[in-house]
Amino acid sequence: MKNVLTLMKKTSAAFGLVAILATPVSAETVGVSMAAFDDNFLTVLRNGMVKMADSMSGVDMQVEDAQNDVAKQLDQINNFIASGVDAIIVNPVDTSATQAMTNAAKNAGVPLVYVNREPINVNSLPDGQAFVASNEIESGTLEAFEVCKMLRAQGKAGGAKAYIIMGELSNQAAVQRTKDVEDVVGMDMCNFIKIIDKQTSNWSREQAQNLMTNWLSSGESFDAVIANNDESAIGAIQAMKAAGLDMKEIIVGGVDATQDALAAMQAGDLDVTVFQDAAGQGAGALTTALKLAKGEKVDKKVYIPFKLVTPANISEYLKKN
Amino acid sequence: MANSKHGVGGLTYDTSKRHWPNEANVFIALIILILIFESLGLLTQGQSFLFDSKDRFDSIFNEQRLKIIILQVSIIGIIAIGVTQVIISGGIDLSSGSIVGATAMIAMSFAQVAEVNGRPNPKAIFLEQGWVDLPIIIPILVGLCCGIVAGGINGLLIAYTRIPPFIATLGMMVSARGIAKWWSKGRPISFPTDDFEMIGNGFGGWMPVVIFISLAILFYLILKYTVYGKHTYAIGSNEDAARMSGIDVRRHKVLVYAIAGMLAALAALVVSSKNLTAQSGMGVMYELDAIAMTVIGGISLAGGRGSIVGTVIGALIFGVIISGFTFLRLDAYYQEMVKGIIIVGAVVLDQWRQRSAATRA
Repeated sequence: MKNVLTLMKKTSAAFGLVAILATPVSAETVGVSMAAFDDNFLTVLRNGMVKMADSMSGVDMQVEDAQNDVAKQLDQINNFIASGVDAIIVNPVDTSATQAMTNAAKNAGVPLVYVNREPINVNSLPDGQAFVASNEIESGTLEAFEVCKMLRAQGKAGGAKAYIIMGELSNQAAVQRTKDVEDVVGMDMCNFIKIIDKQTSNWSREQAQNLMTNWLSSGESFDAVIANNDESAIGAIQAMKAAGLDMKEIIVGGVDATQDALAAMQAGDLDVTVFQDAAGQGAGALTTALKLAKGEKVDKKVYIPFKLVTPANISEYLKKN
Repeated sequence: MANSKHGVGGLTYDTSKRHWPNEANVFIALIILILIFESLGLLTQGQSFLFDSKDRFDSIFNEQRLKIIILQVSIIGIIAIGVTQVIISGGIDLSSGSIVGATAMIAMSFAQVAEVNGRPNPKAIFLEQGWVDLPIIIPILVGLCCGIVAGGINGLLIAYTRIPPFIATLGMMVSARGIAKWWSKGRPISFPTDDFEMIGNGFGGWMPVVIFISLAILFYLILKYTVYGKHTYAIGSNEDAARMSGIDVRRHKVLVYAIAGMLAALAALVVSSKNLTAQSGMGVMYELDAIAMTVIGGISLAGGRGSIVGTVIGALIFGVIISGFTFLRLDAYYQEMVKGIIIVGAVVLDQWRQRSAATRA
């Protein structure tokens, strides 16, 4: 009996030692739940966050893939709480399902930062929680307004026709960007643009290619293609080039400023894109989370600005995203 | 012996009870759909769906629309050919879409150019190793091997562990998607060599169609006239009977799934070449579209029945639906709802037809 007791004492002491060794006193642990690992933009965001965490000493980050599953994401957050992280960063799968996450983190007293996608409860976030992103209303507006200016510069202010390629219809950014484009086209300065049709490509280049070819097969002439993202814009460009259209005549706009899009712009095919600072959002989210973990006060909404990219200033963006 | 009612082995059959081939029904469904779009187009758009109503082409047809109808289903059509023989053998393959994703990523990394617009290629995976500007045969072989290995694993699992095809290929679906994401840590791989671009863009953009139709003809012949084909039908109709008649069922299943994997890999080469990029999310839902094309084409999920002709018509029905919706400028929100209804409707009709045929006989 005595032997067993000493054995137990010894083992528990050993476990205690291991626990002390495993957690250096000053380290901050941050749990991150990303909506998806296979999304290009979110990958740049995630890498921006990981790179920053690696460069800092005493920041230990664990990144999980929620695989676009709302329930899985909530489980991941509860697991983070259970393992005692100092802060949580969430890139929500579904922006309307964030209340449960807010509640879980609040009850456990763990700071929570939403990144990139605006949670539905953004205006009622409790203390210790914040939202870091770019102001989505800027991107579609910047894009459409630049397309409008370019069409005017081409001398088409008397009347122009355009197609809109939308992203995934269940996605807030796609809905917002489409609405922003329509709002710009409704302005006095740009109401010479007539939208012929708007359809979805689900953000995909392949589907955008097929969609554009289908539009081309109706024989309707047009002056601009305004896409919710660069991949769709590139798909449209590939379809138009395959059909022998002169890309100098047609203004094409996208959003994201991906490497592929910048190459297309250098080739003279893409005219407008909007740079959303993905890595900046990732770094901003981590900074905000660390501040909250230390008990500092932060703004409830931290905005990282969008920037317009055209052939005139493309060189500044070639090394980013 | 003309008009003899004597079949093989002295069995008699009644010629009046013979019905049309299954494919004829599917073909009629295709024509009906086209007529619906044609008339709705004239009513709402004042334009013809398939005919040249603006005098833009040399022929009477709207050639551009005819091309896109088949072009936009060719890539999934290539997968559907593989899926067809899997389903005929009594199995199912849920992994093809993920195999497309994984293969596209891996093959594309071996098809990169060294420089883009005078700068080093920002998306090249093997830039440091100097594995850029490689001859086209390397990405093709790497890609096809990926597909054969993935499909072969499916087949081995199904044949030797006896787990249901649904589960084995579901596992591959999840794992292969994982590989697609892991390969470049989620980053897209773009900017392939000019040669590689030809796989999806050759023949003035007709290359995917050429590949799809050639494969369709090839597999139609294989399934109809070769031992491989006859064994596939035999296993799908009655696996035990096939085994007892001396068919090596296990080996055959491995072959069937490996070929399906190879065709999915080929589709991956075409889609990544056509789009000049590979992304880990490529091919999502392709397996279900391929299965839907097959089922619409009259291939029975119970196995042993159907042909590639049905699959090709099933694919064309898909193409007509997609183009028809855009032609009618149907609100994007309604398109998926209607597409689902058409898929289920086609199969319900086929079931009715089969039941009435069964009661007649």
